[in-house]
Amino acid sequence: MKATRTLQIRFFALLREQAGCSDLSVTTEATTPAGLYRELMASHGLTMPPELLTYAVNETYVPGDTPLRDGDRLTFIPPVAGG
Amino acid sequence: MFRLIEEPIDAAALREAMRRPEAGALVVFEGWVRNHHGGRPVTRLEYEAFAEMAVREGEALVEAVERDFPGVAVTCVHRCGDLVPGEVAVWVGAASAHRDDAFRAGRLVIEEVKRRLPIWKKEHHPGEAPVWVNCSEENTPVRRAADYCERQASLPEVGAAGQARLAGANVLIVGLGGLGCPAALYLAGAGVGRLALLDGSRVEYSNLHRQVLFEAGDVGGEKAVRAALALRARNPHITVEPMAADLGPGNVRPLITGRSVVLDCTDNFATRLLLHDACSEAGVPLVQAAVHRWEGVLQVFQPGGGGCLYCTGLAGSPAELEGAGNCAGAPVFGPAVGVLGLLQASEAVKCILERPATERAAAATLLLDLLATSITRIARPRRSDCPYCAAPARPKTARETEPEATLWRSRQELAEAGAHRVLILATRAEREQFGWHRDGRDCFDPTEVGSIRRAVAASPLPVVLACPHGIRSAALARALRADGEPRVYALQGGLADGPLVSPVEP
Ligand SMILES: [Zn+2]
Repeated sequence: MKATRTLQIRFFALLREQAGCSDLSVTTEATTPAGLYRELMASHGLTMPPELLTYAVNETYVPGDTPLRDGDRLTFIPPVAGG
Repeated sequence: MFRLIEEPIDAAALREAMRRPEAGALVVFEGWVRNHHGGRPVTRLEYEAFAEMAVREGEALVEAVERDFPGVAVTCVHRCGDLVPGEVAVWVGAASAHRDDAFRAGRLVIEEVKRRLPIWKKEHHPGEAPVWVNCSEENTPVRRAADYCERQASLPEVGAAGQARLAGANVLIVGLGGLGCPAALYLAGAGVGRLALLDGSRVEYSNLHRQVLFEAGDVGGEKAVRAALALRARNPHITVEPMAADLGPGNVRPLITGRSVVLDCTDNFATRLLLHDACSEAGVPLVQAAVHRWEGVLQVFQPGGGGCLYCTGLAGSPAELEGAGNCAGAPVFGPAVGVLGLLQASEAVKCILERPATERAAAATLLLDLLATSITRIARPRRSDCPYCAAPARPKTARETEPEATLWRSRQELAEAGAHRVLILATRAEREQFGWHRDGRDCFDPTEVGSIRRAVAASPLPVVLACPHGIRSAALARALRADGEPRVYALQGGLADGPLVSPVEP
């Protein structure tokens, strides 16, 4: 049996609308933010191409291949548009 | 100060709060909601923020800008919620003693706010579905790293795989002068994913003619920090890591560890030998260049790639080499350092792409003469009798010297440190102009390296080298230390900084 981890996910902007929720708790075998996003694209109807995303774990920007740990707070960040 | 607020921005109050007696300039940027975008009317904007992270990023940004621009006070306030055309969405103020820093700091803050704060906006158009800005090609072109490097990646020698290799590369550039600036500029343009910049000096007005990353407004700023700003603006898809420090025996190993390639863009032999030896020991490819007046030398050293620096027959100590006209402050033809710096970038890219040796300057030394417009390629085979390759242990340990911090002696420290011998390095003209020879001090012409070295070696006391601006004396002190003379120092500020009071000689 593969190891799983439980993560708290927050969605913003377009992803929030497509996922239909702001917060989501998932238990997954995915080991990285990029890997989990690919899973969620299929399961939650997310259409944004992964190359447009950046990732934050526990409110800090991280590369998409950062190892995820149980209990991490993960955010998928669509292209920002402040200012 | 950074704030993320729901209520309207009170620009007048923010402006008044920036007042401080030491400020001679206030630059304010206001981002307004406009009534059109991409040729379509806009009726309102919805700003959504990942508040905890936006505040954290915003505070870190303001703190970093205030650190990089000492003396500048920054305020940034960003609105969220529903806004209509005419409202202020973001307010940035930068107050400073002088306008240059205020303009630059303010500009940097708004660009970074737009680049990294997790804030999104949804545009509402009359009679159409609202659109999230930047999230589709529909209203804003999306800027991808792949598009940035498209023209280079379409070269068959590079390709998508080569471009990915460059994005994964990690390059250290030592020295951000006439060589390091153009090299860094083109490595950033080539899409090298991680660029580490090492230089402990500040931008001077006389640097600008050849150090192309800096503008007049950068004078006085830390080179590493200013260069990083220019490079991030040039390629937003890469990571640039500025380190305002000098290279020394104490930090060279950790600095080169894990790099794909190291570029030696320095101007003194002590650092050059230190880098060469450390890279050779660690097996890290080194691309080295040096320029004197109209001429330059380019060499690439890497495991299995021809002879080492000492295989070229380079003999003599760093001190003697230093005296051969390589020191800081020498005349230099701007395009010569430009050409050599670009050759370094070119060789570094080919090294990362692992192009075959036939396509590279591997195992050769290139000599360029821009006055004669000539390039000479000299083969550089490994020599079986090389003093370094054959017996690598000796020169490595011989160059363990004291860290840079202890190189300098201030006038105050001189007075407190006990007896020293002071040697003055000045040309005849300088001695006569300033009268430094009159009180019977030891004066040497800076080119008399052998005599200086003998005087240092013969001195029972620690020696302080003093020259007009501290440049020659520091270069020579470094070189002598690298040669195994630990008790040699350079006078901080140089002789031009004031009279040499209480030199503490017996
Ligand atoms: Zn050798």
